[in-house]
Amino acid sequence: MPSDVVPAMRELSYAEAIREALGQAMERDDRVFLFGEDVGIYGGAFGVSGDLVHRFGSERVIDTPISELGLAGAAVGAALTGMRPVLEIQFSDFMTLAMEQIVNQAAKIHYMFGGKASVPMVVRLPGGSGTGAAAQHSQSLEAWFAHVPGLKVVQPSTPHDAKGLLLAAIDDPNPVLVFEHKLLYKSRGPVPADDYRVPIGIAAVRREGRDITIVAASVMVVRAQAAAERLAVEGIDAEVIDLRSLRPIDFATIRASVRKTHRLLVVYEGVRTMGIGAEIAADIAGSDAFDFLDAPIARLGAAESPVPYNPVLEKASVPQEDDIVRAARRLVREGEA
Amino acid sequence: MAVEVVLPKVDMDMETGVIAAWRVAEGDVVRQGDVLFEMETDKALMDVEAPGSGRIRGLAPVDGEPIAVGTPVAWIDVADEGDAVAESVSASSGVPEVAPAARSVAAIAPASPIAADADERTQAVGIRATPLARATARESGIALEAVAGSGPRGRIGAADVAQHHARAASQPSPADRLVPFDPVRRTIAQRLAQSVREAPHFFMTAHVDMGALVAALDAHRAAAATTTRASVTAALVYLVSRTLVDHPMLNASVDGDAARLHRHAHIGIAMDRDGDLVVPVIRRAASRTFDDTVRELGRLREAIASHALAPSELRGATFTISNLGMYGVDAFTAIINPPESAILAVGRIVDTPVGRDGRVVLRPMATLTLSADHRIIDGTAAARFMADLRRAIEDARALA
Amino acid sequence: METTTRAQGQARERAELAALDDATLREALLRMHLIRKFEEAAEASYMRGLVHGTMHLSIGQEASAVGAVLPLEPHDYILSTHRGHGHCIAKGADPSRMLAEFFGKETGYCHGRGGSMHIADVEGGNLGANGIVAGGLPIAVGVGMSIRMQKLARVCVVFFGDGASNEGAFHESLNLASIWRLPIVFLCENNKYGMSMDIAKAMAVPNVADRASAYAMPGATIDGNDLPAVVDASKRAVARARRGDGPSLVECKTYRLRGHSKSDRNLYRTKEEIETWRAADPIARLARELEASGRFDASTLAAIEEAATRRIDEALAFARTSPEPDPAQVTRDVYAQ
Repeated sequence: MPSDVVPAMRELSYAEAIREALGQAMERDDRVFLFGEDVGIYGGAFGVSGDLVHRFGSERVIDTPISELGLAGAAVGAALTGMRPVLEIQFSDFMTLAMEQIVNQAAKIHYMFGGKASVPMVVRLPGGSGTGAAAQHSQSLEAWFAHVPGLKVVQPSTPHDAKGLLLAAIDDPNPVLVFEHKLLYKSRGPVPADDYRVPIGIAAVRREGRDITIVAASVMVVRAQAAAERLAVEGIDAEVIDLRSLRPIDFATIRASVRKTHRLLVVYEGVRTMGIGAEIAADIAGSDAFDFLDAPIARLGAAESPVPYNPVLEKASVPQEDDIVRAARRLVREGEA
Repeated sequence: MAVEVVLPKVDMDMETGVIAAWRVAEGDVVRQGDVLFEMETDKALMDVEAPGSGRIRGLAPVDGEPIAVGTPVAWIDVADEGDAVAESVSASSGVPEVAPAARSVAAIAPASPIAADADERTQAVGIRATPLARATARESGIALEAVAGSGPRGRIGAADVAQHHARAASQPSPADRLVPFDPVRRTIAQRLAQSVREAPHFFMTAHVDMGALVAALDAHRAAAATTTRASVTAALVYLVSRTLVDHPMLNASVDGDAARLHRHAHIGIAMDRDGDLVVPVIRRAASRTFDDTVRELGRLREAIASHALAPSELRGATFTISNLGMYGVDAFTAIINPPESAILAVGRIVDTPVGRDGRVVLRPMATLTLSADHRIIDGTAAARFMADLRRAIEDARALA
Repeated sequence: METTTRAQGQARERAELAALDDATLREALLRMHLIRKFEEAAEASYMRGLVHGTMHLSIGQEASAVGAVLPLEPHDYILSTHRGHGHCIAKGADPSRMLAEFFGKETGYCHGRGGSMHIADVEGGNLGANGIVAGGLPIAVGVGMSIRMQKLARVCVVFFGDGASNEGAFHESLNLASIWRLPIVFLCENNKYGMSMDIAKAMAVPNVADRASAYAMPGATIDGNDLPAVVDASKRAVARARRGDGPSLVECKTYRLRGHSKSDRNLYRTKEEIETWRAADPIARLARELEASGRFDASTLAAIEEAATRRIDEALAFARTSPEPDPAQVTRDVYAQ
């Protein structure tokens, strides 16, 4: 092919991108295996694992009983003794059953043992609301885990990042939680075919702007980008930052953006109180970027309630594109959070 | 690693200083504590010491220009890395250590621009303003009190500061020309405004017969030992300085709750240089002979004209004479130059009908107007001084 | 399901004793003494204020610790409990580094970061004591998976107490180990009490091993203070696991002569009960039997005890003179690089 013709990159869905990452990782490294409820013959509750069991066999793509605590501990033990397990917890809400092994064991072993042992495990977690799955199957609990030293937490918003962050997570010698969003599984985007990494701890500026910085994660990035296009029409030039990592958070990129735009709006699906937006706002208020703020810091998060079942209520309980537009407009035009 | 030598702040309200003279030269090796330069403040001449040891470079020029406190005026390349670290200086934050001695201080820089502006912040308490607006206002020297805030609850935003700045800079008519202050003008504006604000001025006029003085000057010129023509101003310097000996309160400065009576009379002479007011000083005027006074005055005038005046020659006056007679001004009142307490304004000599011995005669009269600071000079003190001065002038037998 | 009565035990004992050669018995007795002296030294240091926090002593449980571990190879794994000093020494840990860890010193196994409850000697196959009751059980499942996937001829012995068998993690772990035929020995040290709760009141069945059949694995309840009996039961379970036949549940009935932790005032049991069990002290029992059977004479037995005493004295001196960690390093080793 002539060198000046760049082939259009093929598009994959977010789910396909994750499957590709798992397949490539398992091909290249015998230590990697996938286990969880219905990941084998069923192809995964959200269709992510697909045909992996046929390619790698049931010893490497393992169907398990419903035993989140046992499985989380199994991931710890396997990682401790030389494997690279990838555990799929069917709904991120079920991490509540696995908390002991994730928080008390996985996160702390490397430290408690004086650096002698490490736990290179990955937990994949479909999360978020919008599918009518109601209160116990729709939560966004990533902030809980971003609060635990020893864990790493990532949230891809695009198929490209879903593959790259998962491969980075599998490579990482620490326990990494990957919060995937159910509404994003069918979203499509360009995904390189090769074995690449998206580094953990680096945010991505999805849209450059001068008037306001909008920081978001996961599906909120998509909504923020749509909001930014609408804001541009009314003369507000928004910079959209995709966090990608919640622990560690790329504060440097956010601070640099705020120094430029002077206004900050953080949008996330976790409950607003005590969420990641609170952490980001506090960081900016306590850093040198404070001197560049020309308005209070605004946060959009989920309502202070369990996720409702009724679809109108469900939508109303988390930030939507309209909410982002309104909040940005209010911050820029009225100077109010 | 380079250590900054900054112009130190040595007085609470000091904003600028002037390098009077360097004691070292470019490339010299200096040791910590060596005196690097003499700095002039409103109060005195001070020695500034080296904050580190090494080779000094980048010496700022000695041109009499006021320099903002904290500005680097030279750099010392410290020879040994270890010593540099021990002296704990960084390029951005300046030197924290060394206790100042009475007359010499090491280079001390303010820790941060924010600390230097503490006064401004306390004034601004109670004003709603965003961090960006505050920072911008600070940098532009704009007082937040003057800015109208358009944000919620009257909050001042960066746009408000920018608008204020633009409005202040904009002219009523496009035909106007904006001439920004240069440092000298800025200093004059600040100091004289301060003088009017702080010193309660009162004024006293005397119409003085200059006949005898003029005659003495003519005689002196005839027997000229100097190449310079002796002027009325020179004569006044000579006579005023001697009169001040007996009137020390007019040769004094307000110093807190006290009057500082200066030991010597250093007479400042208000002159014009390119449209700016400059006041060169004749030091110890009362000790000089008249010839010496004439010579010195001439030297100063030439130095002004050729821009060769040293900064030290512009400082330290204890009393100023301003003679605008050559411009045809009959009389005027002058503003006292702080920290002096008095100034004498001299008008032109004009033949004026006066009553003498019951008849009207034409005499060469000049109007002398004294401005005095009523904090330390009362009416009678001023009156006595003027009386003695008049006597000295009208009696000027010889100007020796 | 098997149980042994005291009388049967007497007969069995001799055969089980005969199965062990002199070198093995010498090593076993030495280790039991080491554990006893170690625990006593730790206790004395604690009472002198040299040890921070608390500690859970296993005085009286030496036979189950040493006996369970004796059939293991150096590369076999153990997972231990909060009452794990004995397991650690039984597996060959260095008492000096253990005591240094209790003293919080930089030279401890965990550089002072873990303390008594989180002692690990990863190179020696001890994947760690655990501060969470039943915390090690799911981890053992993962270790078992890892052994199978890497096709190693290794076994994992996971210790737990009677109280742990009522945690959900116990049930999940035994189920998972069974369905996947993992090479695990579930070693329960039933010392009759959780903290203050008598197991008879806490558990629905009289013996922990009664639960084995629910998970389709062999269960054995034995006199945990009888070293040769413990070795025998452990050997069989280890062999089964190494053969690839799957997990076993071995219940050692024993007793802790000290309280649960240092703040226990023993309000939940009687002095008589404690005295009865003290008479059944496993070390004294073994020594008596060894002398009675003519294996070792009194002076040999004394020499073994003396060797243990000397070793522990060395350990104390080492721990006392070791350096404290540097507070500036508090976040070192939170993450693996």
